Amino acid sequence: MIELLAQTGLNALYAAAYMSLVAVGLVLIFGVMGVINFAHGELFMMGAYTVVALYTDFQMPYVLVVGLAVMFVGALGIFMEWSMFRPLRDNPLGGLVASIGFLMILQAAVSMGFGVRMEHVPPVTQEVIEFSDRVRLPVQRLVVILAAVVLLAALWAFLKKTRFGWALRASAQDREAAALQGISIRQTAQIAMFIGAGLAGVAGALTAPLISVNPHMGHSVIIAAFIVIIVGGIGSLEGAVIAAVIYAFVHTFVTTFYDGVVADIVGLSLMLLVLVVKPTGLFGTADRA
Amino acid sequence: MPRSLIHVLAWPLLGVFLIALPHVLSFSQQEILAYLVFNVLLVASYRLLTLTGEWSLGHVVIMGVGAYGSALYTKHFGVPVPVSMLLGAGTAALIAMVLSYPLFRMKGFYFLIGSFAAGEIIRLLWKRYREPFGGPKGLKRIDPMPDIDIGIWSFDFFEPVSYYYFALAVVAVCLWIMWRIERSPVGLTFHAVHWQDNLAESAGVNVRAYRTLAFVIASGFAGLSGALMAHYIGTINPTSFDVEQMVFVLTWAIVGGTATFYGPILGCVVLTILNEIVLREMGFEQMRPMIYGLVMILSVLFLPKGLESIVQRLVGRKPAPGALAEPTRMEDRA
Amino acid sequence: MIAKFFQKGVSRRKFLGTTASAAGLGLVGSTLPKRAFAADKTVKVGFLAPLTGPVAAWGKPGLDGCEIWAEWVNDAGGLEIGGETYAVEFVGYDNEYDPAKARAGATKLIREDGVKFIMMLGGDTWAGVERVADQTGMLFSTLLPSDLGPETTTLIAPAEVHPVYNVTGVEWMAEQHPDLKTAVICAQDDALGLPSVATYLAAFEAAGIEMQQEPLLFDPATTDFAPVVTKLISDNPDIVCLDTCYADYVHPIVEQLFQQGYEGQIISCTADFYDQMVEKTSKEFMEGFIFQFPDFDDPELNKDFINFKDPNKFFEVYNERHPGEWGAVSWEYASIMDLWAAAAQKAGSVEPDAVLEAMTADGSGKHAFGDADWWGEDLFGIDHALVGNWPVVRIEDGKARIMAYKSIPEWYDKHGELLKKHMADFGQMWNQRG
Repeated sequence: MIELLAQTGLNALYAAAYMSLVAVGLVLIFGVMGVINFAHGELFMMGAYTVVALYTDFQMPYVLVVGLAVMFVGALGIFMEWSMFRPLRDNPLGGLVASIGFLMILQAAVSMGFGVRMEHVPPVTQEVIEFSDRVRLPVQRLVVILAAVVLLAALWAFLKKTRFGWALRASAQDREAAALQGISIRQTAQIAMFIGAGLAGVAGALTAPLISVNPHMGHSVIIAAFIVIIVGGIGSLEGAVIAAVIYAFVHTFVTTFYDGVVADIVGLSLMLLVLVVKPTGLFGTADRA
Repeated sequence: MPRSLIHVLAWPLLGVFLIALPHVLSFSQQEILAYLVFNVLLVASYRLLTLTGEWSLGHVVIMGVGAYGSALYTKHFGVPVPVSMLLGAGTAALIAMVLSYPLFRMKGFYFLIGSFAAGEIIRLLWKRYREPFGGPKGLKRIDPMPDIDIGIWSFDFFEPVSYYYFALAVVAVCLWIMWRIERSPVGLTFHAVHWQDNLAESAGVNVRAYRTLAFVIASGFAGLSGALMAHYIGTINPTSFDVEQMVFVLTWAIVGGTATFYGPILGCVVLTILNEIVLREMGFEQMRPMIYGLVMILSVLFLPKGLESIVQRLVGRKPAPGALAEPTRMEDRA
Repeated sequence: MIAKFFQKGVSRRKFLGTTASAAGLGLVGSTLPKRAFAADKTVKVGFLAPLTGPVAAWGKPGLDGCEIWAEWVNDAGGLEIGGETYAVEFVGYDNEYDPAKARAGATKLIREDGVKFIMMLGGDTWAGVERVADQTGMLFSTLLPSDLGPETTTLIAPAEVHPVYNVTGVEWMAEQHPDLKTAVICAQDDALGLPSVATYLAAFEAAGIEMQQEPLLFDPATTDFAPVVTKLISDNPDIVCLDTCYADYVHPIVEQLFQQGYEGQIISCTADFYDQMVEKTSKEFMEGFIFQFPDFDDPELNKDFINFKDPNKFFEVYNERHPGEWGAVSWEYASIMDLWAAAAQKAGSVEPDAVLEAMTADGSGKHAFGDADWWGEDLFGIDHALVGNWPVVRIEDGKARIMAYKSIPEWYDKHGELLKKHMADFGQMWNQRG
């Protein structure tokens, strides 16, 4: 029983790691641009497909590919900002619809270029850390956990310690006031978009060897990410991380001790409960959203 | 003078056009036409909800409540089909009433996501309980509309043309009712609730009650649209009402524009014809979602006020008062 | 621009093949390139299945297989039916796995394109088409026999009688490894997973294998399978059964079984792309993995009683044109066409009622894996499922090999009541559906 609990805890830790990478990116984009990026799951998918194209097919070194995935997906983010979100700045519903259109384009492009079936990503490492016979942590999963910790810590430092970070936080709080302070809205939006998309891309690239890569893989990720950002409080980065951890642990333990469908219902009910009791989320504040 | 003549003639002309329409279409286009009529009702009811400023992501699930309700009433209680459709619509309204208690504690973006969560829970319940909802496979062999013989006319409702006329009549009545509601003092209050939330409140308007009212009425019509669909296709399942379908409804409304009554209807008609007829005829199979997505992006970029703005320019009319202005930033209202 | 980027990315996987199929997508629904064959008439066959969207993997590869089939037939001069030669043309309609679109598609194929036979994936989409079939008498085929019912008189399930053939794998395993006594099973909670769970439970009970846990159901949206696997192997079962999980689930589950240190027997309905699983785990780990879908280059498929035409060549051509897409549905629709062509020739007509009559007249038919019987009254309420032998496949040294052909009717004669009991428990009998 102890072993089962320990193994489930490790499983939950991994789920929390990749989920917080995705959710934090979503929150960042929403915070700075006020737009719900429905295509966020597809950015995650693009990260995974970068690995398929460069690592599986061109056999480039995995570490390099992960870096390229961040750049590529981040660039996609900047492209989205430039082509859609900036012109639609005052039209959040328009931005939402545009991101849905973008999602359909990405899915179709990938289906046509790679086929509709799942893709193969050879294992990067098959090393497993064995704590005991039934408590094991594959190194690839450990990498995801560590990467999430490092990247989120770096993001935190960036936001708190640098001028860009300060500008970013300022424009997330009040765009007009930030503009009056001489902050370039355009620049901060692009940085936020690059970071947000890049985080989704890195999550996709790091988990690609562990999950099924197919053109529709973004769908299940985005729903979980929505639940996480609601529970955490939209606009709160810390909240997103903590909520990702809570959600991942609840979902993983319920899956292991009951079943997966019940876990989904519990997750959604949790979110609805938070919405009813404290609509601004566990860590959101009333004046921000 | 000629202008008012057009106004006088417009409705009869439209009626003649809609009655003649199926006879110039191919068989599969008739199928799509019948389907289009249900969706027009759905998207028009969605606009009624958005009048108060709230955007829901649960509307398609509510439509499903009507569909499941109506199908189950005929199956288990032998209720005749047209009656069960009304009961299904009533069930959808009732469920909306219940949901409104938690949901209208929220506004704006929170309401959007809250409605999505509520809808997903309902959908998971359909999936989870094979009795009575049929589980993931849903319900099959739902009773069709019984055939009718009226004198020289006989209607076999398997035929898309017959069902189209039936649905057209039902939807026309519904649209008329919704139109009347919007023009009534209640409807004007909906607008007020949207645009001058605080002012309306200080004027003694119970904002939440009006939001609930709009939600319940819109849900009733959505439920009816689901019931119309269920008895035509003969099968429904939880996937028929998932978030992807909802996304289509949302895009119809936004691409069409929601400032006018006809905007969302226009969006629904144009986008459906584009996706189901034009792109299919052109032989794009796997590329179809890509082009559809591109058209969506281009239309919100270059027609920010929707397709309706083109019509307004052509007709040269100013938008109705109270329904102009730009969409507000959702976050401002949260 | 994005598409171009990716087309470059796939160059290793036969750039030409992929782009040709991408560029040729417009081909779906249009005529095949005209060839100088003797055929003077054309018979059209509808292909009404998901070609885009999440379920496309169950449709698109089948259409690709059918195009090869049509090419072969037409290059050989077409089909001789009733004294005339017919070229065969496939007309595709993408139903997106949506019942309403399937209905519109069926209407188009029947009334506008004039097809004589329609192949479907079935499932949700069949329910939308059912009334069209009733009214028009068109002959349809499905891959999912659970669509059958007493009233579906023009629907046949001639390729696979999912999930009943899964009993053959369990039966063979129990004969070979009588020491395996306990099992666990997991499945996605959907129309494919549940009847399959019932079948495996019946097969395990018949073989005297005990279930350690209730079947573990997961939502189709699951991406991380570590928790599922942790639970499955928590009591050290001898056998882990993967039911009819989609390839997208089989792979991560198997990988997790490997990483969490499972060492027992694995049995599954499918193992599409098993070579990738070997790469993700190890040859030793995958050794002895039992499933039901052979590679078509298997020498066992060249036996005389096999009715599928030139399976080895078909496999080769398919993999050349669509690298990385081979799976169960790649050959199934094509095998249905073999059956249809034989029946049409026998009937001397391409009309649906005549073909159906000729197909089922003597109660047996030429199934891909050997002659088989029209069967199903007990489970489906109608004898419209073609059931005979089914191969049991095992992975040996990293390659799938057919171990044996096992008879489904023989198993059913012995254990039919068990199957009915478990099917009824899961609400899967024809009279419980709907």
